[in-house]
Amino acid sequence: MRQYFGRKLLVYALTFVVAVTVNWMIPRFMPGDPVSGMLARAGVSQPAAVEAMRLYYTSLFGFDQPLWKQYVNFWSALLRGDFGISIWLFPTPVSTVILRAVPYTLGLMIPAVLLSWVIGNRLGAYAARRKLLDNTILPAGYILTAMPYMWLAVILAWGLGVVAGWFPVAGGYSFSLQPSWSADFVLDLLHHWVLPFLSLFLVALGGWAIGMRNMIIYELESDYSTYLAALGAPSRLIRRYAFRNAVLPQITGLALQLGVLVAGALVTEIVFSYPGLGSLILKAIQNQDFFLLQGTFMFIVIGVLVANFVIDLVYVVVDPRTRAGMAGGRP
Amino acid sequence: MRKRARILIPLLAAAMAAAACSSGGPTPAPQGSQGANPPAANPGNPGSLPRNETLYTTGTQWGPPANFNPIREWDYATGTKGLVYETLFHYDPNTAKLTPWLAESGAWTSDTVYDAKLRAGVKWADGKPLTAKDVAFSYSLGKMETVPFHNIWDWLKSVEAVDDQTVRFTFSKANYQEWDFNLYSRVIVPEHVWTGRSEEDVLNGVNENPVGTGAYRYQSHDQDRVVWVKRDDWWGKAALGVEPKPRYIVDVATPSNEVAMGMLLQKGLDLSNNFLPGVANLIKGNFGITSFYNEPPYMLSANTAWLVPNTRKKPMDDPAFRKALATSVDTKKIVEGVYGNLVKASSPTGLLPQWDQFVDQGVVGGSGFSFDTAKAKKALADAGYRDRDGDGLVENKDGSKIDLTLMVPTGWTDWMEAARAISTSAKAAGINVTPDFPDFNALVEKRGKGDFDLLINNERQLSNTPWTYYDYIFQLPIQKTQNTVNFGRYENKKAWSLVQQLDQVKTDDIEGMKKVISQLQQIHLDEMPIIPLWYNGLWAQSSVSVWKNWPSSAQGAPKSAPAMWRNWMELGGFETLTQLQPAAS
Amino acid sequence: MTTIPDSLADNRVVRREALHFAVRNGKLVIGFAIVLVLLLIGALGPVLLGVDAPNEYVAGPMLPPSAEHWFGTTTFGQDVFTQFVHGTRTTFVVGALGGGIAAVIAMVVGFTAGYRGGLVDEVLNMFTNIVLVIPTLAVLLIVNAYLGIRSVAVQALFIGLTSWPWAARAIRAQTFSLRTRDFVDLARLSGMNTRRVIVREIAPNMSSYLFMTFILLFGGSILIASSLDFIGLGPTEGVSLGLMLQNATQWSALQLGLWWWFIPPGAAITAIVGALYVANVGLDEVFNPKLRQR
Repeated sequence: MRQYFGRKLLVYALTFVVAVTVNWMIPRFMPGDPVSGMLARAGVSQPAAVEAMRLYYTSLFGFDQPLWKQYVNFWSALLRGDFGISIWLFPTPVSTVILRAVPYTLGLMIPAVLLSWVIGNRLGAYAARRKLLDNTILPAGYILTAMPYMWLAVILAWGLGVVAGWFPVAGGYSFSLQPSWSADFVLDLLHHWVLPFLSLFLVALGGWAIGMRNMIIYELESDYSTYLAALGAPSRLIRRYAFRNAVLPQITGLALQLGVLVAGALVTEIVFSYPGLGSLILKAIQNQDFFLLQGTFMFIVIGVLVANFVIDLVYVVVDPRTRAGMAGGRP
Repeated sequence: MRKRARILIPLLAAAMAAAACSSGGPTPAPQGSQGANPPAANPGNPGSLPRNETLYTTGTQWGPPANFNPIREWDYATGTKGLVYETLFHYDPNTAKLTPWLAESGAWTSDTVYDAKLRAGVKWADGKPLTAKDVAFSYSLGKMETVPFHNIWDWLKSVEAVDDQTVRFTFSKANYQEWDFNLYSRVIVPEHVWTGRSEEDVLNGVNENPVGTGAYRYQSHDQDRVVWVKRDDWWGKAALGVEPKPRYIVDVATPSNEVAMGMLLQKGLDLSNNFLPGVANLIKGNFGITSFYNEPPYMLSANTAWLVPNTRKKPMDDPAFRKALATSVDTKKIVEGVYGNLVKASSPTGLLPQWDQFVDQGVVGGSGFSFDTAKAKKALADAGYRDRDGDGLVENKDGSKIDLTLMVPTGWTDWMEAARAISTSAKAAGINVTPDFPDFNALVEKRGKGDFDLLINNERQLSNTPWTYYDYIFQLPIQKTQNTVNFGRYENKKAWSLVQQLDQVKTDDIEGMKKVISQLQQIHLDEMPIIPLWYNGLWAQSSVSVWKNWPSSAQGAPKSAPAMWRNWMELGGFETLTQLQPAAS
Repeated sequence: MTTIPDSLADNRVVRREALHFAVRNGKLVIGFAIVLVLLLIGALGPVLLGVDAPNEYVAGPMLPPSAEHWFGTTTFGQDVFTQFVHGTRTTFVVGALGGGIAAVIAMVVGFTAGYRGGLVDEVLNMFTNIVLVIPTLAVLLIVNAYLGIRSVAVQALFIGLTSWPWAARAIRAQTFSLRTRDFVDLARLSGMNTRRVIVREIAPNMSSYLFMTFILLFGGSILIASSLDFIGLGPTEGVSLGLMLQNATQWSALQLGLWWWFIPPGAAITAIVGALYVANVGLDEVFNPKLRQR
């Protein structure tokens, strides 16, 4: 078990290093100079003033140092939790900007991922049992999982938001409210949360239902099921075993799907102007704010790594074989 | 696991609420004289703004409000200038006159001395009176090299407070036109708060809890909004006899087009100052959405969009080629196809409709251009650009291929479509133009260095004088990087000296201005250093569900500019707020 | 996700049998039929329509679907059907290219790791896991944002370079179970080098599995590409289904009632990807005898 976790942690550590390095490298090869962009937006035309401002910002952002030093600085700043200063929101520190957005993204993602996983697995298991359910859930699942997130999101926003008027189409909470601990505010928050949640949830739901359904059919056709059936075991028992075995790959699947889910959340947030990381990334791209882009990217990487680690833990708890130390050859 | 999921959602909602609460930024303590917070109309929820007293606007702020520093004219939170900080004068584009604001009056006492007389009884939000010293201090900030209006100190010699109400500006060179522009553009900040701030603080400080003379003060902000609340003790109520109607103004960080349109339709927005494609359909339909005109072009004109050729590059260095290029552009297709008639084709001079009186029709009639593919082809042939290899596209005089790129920032959808339209119509005339959509910063860098063929630009707004327009086109000398003007690097010493001459014509000498401007127009149309295409609209679509009496061309309606845009509050944006009426009344 | 049949009897028999079951498998037939129809639209449509420039303004703006303009026109007066046909083509190209590149990388990594084992496996596995864990869309966003030139090919290349890890892992696991089989030992003993063993013995024995993997990668690439297009990081020239979606959204198609501009591209993406997934399950049933009973 120690070896299992040791290995996992090594992978995560390496991933982190790679991510940080990639993160540091990319902006330095990009076309265009963020300082020029800032100066242009400032609309300053005096050459002396331009030079003064350029020098000031260049040294502020550390572009004037040798590359290796920039790299070392990057690491040391990172470990201090300092992601630099946003260019777009100058002079707000990137970490502040991100921390403001993170709760929204997590509040959207965690319920969407967990609920879709739990409900999807349930539906899939039911579908594998009954022909009628199979014939309805399966096509619906395929359609849902094949939908581009933003397409569903825009349709929901238009249908349930603009036409029906049931839900607001944008923002994290009403523009008439100020954050407070009142019931009104929490309800308002939830009201704004429903549509983005729903579009994430539905697309993910389809995938899990299908995965579970297929997995259970595999299990029901496997040797041990046949054997159990031959022994005269009740079919409920067999199904329960099948379900247990089928859940394991679904947990691995959750780890594999995290990246896709993050992507989905980003796109969905953009559609609903939901004030999370996705909207931030879009703005960072549009404004060439590479400190912000780097920061959000680092944050997503860390988030995904943590999530992976949690899934590993869960896996160990659920799967007796990993606990027994058979971790070696299995992925 | 199901049980866990059930308790998870409330938990997360609580976490989000906590985050939202803590992210509102520091809420300033109620300031000095104006006492307690305004009464909330909804006692059940003190945090909620009453809808019928709140104005929701959008279209100015493109990101979270980052600072309240009026010196940062390019990214202060919407309303910092106009609602909180004010200027000595406003400018009314309809009457073409300065409106006394913080200043009661102002006059040239000699050719190079200007005296401004301040109103008595104007108080800062912290209760201290506004004095001439504040004005002198504010203008003196420009002595710092990095402050955007530093260049006025090239011709302004000194500014001093003669007494509490009088400020005297002494000039080394009297640029009358530019000075009027500065009178309604430069904010006045309180010396007692700002004094002692370092250059860095002045330029980059966030300036939390801004203390201004204006009708509103800061209430709160979050990533996607800033909330202003009305000051009951604003000086203008007594001195001007006007009062902005909304108790609260919430400026929403501009969402994407379709979201803004959705919010307008849901009546969650009152004024949207961003370009909403296809909005003409909503204005014509029964959706409760209005704009200045209820027929094309629907909007007032705010600035001119130009096609800027790089005059340092072949073949754009040839005026004949530039004129042929101008003739080849099908502006009608852009106006109707791309914008759905939300904009107006520009006059060949590019002077905004508000400056119509300065257009010399004689010059335009003789040297103007209009779209005509056949004419463009002929002009190219006459100038020696012929199609030598039979691909339908002309070559340079020396036989080398012409392959021009038209740059437009990626994501600027309307301009991207316009660039495609220009490319198509230029190709029809035989000029090979390919659209290119680099990222904005990459474009800015190339534009500054002169490393481009063609681009579209509109970075001059309506102002008190066409001088700003011609300053943009002809300004010399060309720098290593051209950051704000004359991106095409066009050099014409005669034109530039005319522009300077125009600057020194007194602003009430319309005939004198016309004389110089007519010469400038002649040069512009003969040389075509920049090709005016269309007038970009002063995008403003408003919902009449909560507030009415929006500016419109209809009889009896206010005619001020319905805009919260930067620097437009002084051009009528603030006056619009004072004209609003609750829809319920 | 799927496993290959344990019994690897005579290949030819399996294939003949597979074909027999394939034509009788409803999922497979329906799935491939849908994909084929859309593929034909994308492949032949542009030729039949004879329009080179799908972004041209050809008619009045905002026309609803009619006999003349099957899918109506956009705000600018572009023919939506023409764009749709061209877009479908681009989308297939991205899917095939992106999926193909990912499949090739996945096969190289998976086979090598699975067959060689030992240190090579360790290193490759580590590498795979790293790429797997990094949120690829975020990487794609960053890379795309910094790249000035964006063409369909570049987009496909980047999708291919980032979406292979799960496939490599699956192929590795399969290879792992195959490499101890007798026929592989035999080939190795007869002096074949590693590459030949993989190409001649291992790959053919899991061809069905590889094909299914490719199908999933293909569908995945299409979805990723549409997301990128939507955010504004799509190809700067031409038209794809994702770009159509982006345009329709940016110009408020639904709000203005132009549903015919917004619905078809999304529906087509859903249809292509959904049909591919369905066909994949069908294939699974065909190749895996145990699943056929249902």
